[in-house]
Amino acid sequence: MKETIICRCEEVSLEDIVNTANTHNCSAREIKLRTRAGMGYCGGRTCRPAVNAVLEDLTGEKAGHNVPLKVQPPVRPVTLSVLGGNRNGH
Amino acid sequence: MGINRILNHPVLGPVENKKRITFTFDGQTFEGFEGDTIASALLANGIRTLRVHEETGAPRAIYCNIGHCFECRVTVNEADIVRACMTPIQESMAIESGKVQPAPFNTPPEEWPRTYTEYEERNNNQKDGGTNA
Repeated sequence: MKETIICRCEEVSLEDIVNTANTHNCSAREIKLRTRAGMGYCGGRTCRPAVNAVLEDLTGEKAGHNVPLKVQPPVRPVTLSVLGGNRNGH
Repeated sequence: MGINRILNHPVLGPVENKKRITFTFDGQTFEGFEGDTIASALLANGIRTLRVHEETGAPRAIYCNIGHCFECRVTVNEADIVRACMTPIQESMAIESGKVQPAPFNTPPEEWPRTYTEYEERNNNQKDGGTNA
């Protein structure tokens, strides 16, 4: 159960998140910075709700928006080359 | 035409008159039907591992299959970060799986390469290749 992977992009397990949360008594944002959960290719769109849910389970507090640099997941992650006008990503 | 292909679906009926498309995956040639995504064509051919995790080398495959999670990203005709689940196969497409990337900062700082030449030597003189694991 503890080996369940929460963030697949950065390969962060439930155990990593629980251990980090217990050791540092931290917020969801701090969990992200310490473990890199939610900082991979998908932009945290897949695992962020799971990270928040784990934190809510552990601390009993809902993740709020009062912390600076809050979560702003992209609608769709794209490469810089796409932004530069090349749709093929070259 | 693939070991996992359902050729006669109880509801959707038989697969008929589909144009066959040839493509390569890591240099090996495969066949799929027109309208297949890269992921479905490879799955039909029994290939489930589309890439490995860049750092740990753990296998990755289709996860959400709707273009959301980027777990199935592959390299297509040398373009990076192409989602296999969202990209239809085309004739002669050259698909490469994701490989383990060098991770020079996973070791203690004392063991880090001091110069770029040293870094290259440790990675068998491959500029951006090698695993340094």
